[in-house]
Amino acid sequence: MIRPLALALILILILAASPAQAHRMKLFVSAEGAEMVARAYFVGGEPAQGIDIQVTAADGAPIALLKTDPAGQARLTAALRQDHLFLAESQDGHTAHLRLSADQLPPHLAAAPGPVSAAGPDLDRIEAALARQVRPLKEQIDQLESRARLSDLIGGVGMIFGLFGLWAWKQSRRETKS
Amino acid sequence: MAHLPDGLLPPILLAGGGAASAAAVLWGMRAVTPDRVPQVAVLSAVFFTAALIHFPAGLGSVHLILNGLMGLVLGPAAAPAILVALVLQAVLFGFGGLLVLGINAANMIFPALTAWLLFKRLCPPHQAARAPLVAGLLAALAVFLTSLLVAACLALAGREFLASAAVVLGTAIPVMVIEGFFTAAAVGVIARTRPQLLGWPS
Repeated sequence: MIRPLALALILILILAASPAQAHRMKLFVSAEGAEMVARAYFVGGEPAQGIDIQVTAADGAPIALLKTDPAGQARLTAALRQDHLFLAESQDGHTAHLRLSADQLPPHLAAAPGPVSAAGPDLDRIEAALARQVRPLKEQIDQLESRARLSDLIGGVGMIFGLFGLWAWKQSRRETKS
Repeated sequence: MAHLPDGLLPPILLAGGGAASAAAVLWGMRAVTPDRVPQVAVLSAVFFTAALIHFPAGLGSVHLILNGLMGLVLGPAAAPAILVALVLQAVLFGFGGLLVLGINAANMIFPALTAWLLFKRLCPPHQAARAPLVAGLLAALAVFLTSLLVAACLALAGREFLASAAVVLGTAIPVMVIEGFFTAAAVGVIARTRPQLLGWPS
């Protein structure tokens, strides 16, 4: 009675979990021109709203403190062409961080405080448009990468049975020896 | 939120959690006798899988833990079963991490053992009729204790205790309800069909 029940239970759990998601928060940041768009989400796609995102420079100097909207997004316009570190933290301890490197920002931004050099605004527009086009693709790749797959799930269950099988085998050898 | 991520907690807490869960696992391994190995394996697999069942709660999403059921059915053997499942969750799904494994395991194992001890006391064999009710309440208690431990860890990591406790416990309420009913049903079936699994004479 109990063994078919347990098997049925595992089967039900596996089926229920098949669009499997890992319980983990992720952060995705991309630049559209000088505007940086950060998106926090739980793996599986659900947006993480009301999350604090700290933005700092590479040397740790604070730049901004953002909060995600109901779509899990927060926007910030870069003032300098430098690396930006994004650190998202939810109240219950999920964290995710990401570095947006300087070369994803438009070249006309100054690398240090000072007057803005006048590099072609046309190039800026093209870069911003390209970034907008490519962003959904990048996001999709990012999500695919971290999704818990059914094969992982089945592999894990198999691994557990294998491990305990090994344990049982070791025990049975010890018993036959003594 | 039962799996704390790497890089959040101070090293002393990681070491303490590691030592506590190592002790529990070593002690629990003595309870994994040859005839119980398949049962421990099945429940470990159930625990491993259950964490993938999500439902939205408040700002985030939560998942089943099932540590109460583990404790009630396995007793001390729940400790190695939980540890094995947590290792694989960390490696395959990125839940928690390997450095915080000890503290995450402790947060789930000790509530499971608490549920087991209370069940032995509250529900002796001659009161089998109330096993489902007691089991359901203890399963909810186990989830509650795990959330409390997680909140305490966050507080020790420098978060404000009340704020993180409110979020962690708030999102744990649906999990407590669901696991309560689930465990009540499971233990009800076990009490009728295989009472020896609960440590009762058959």
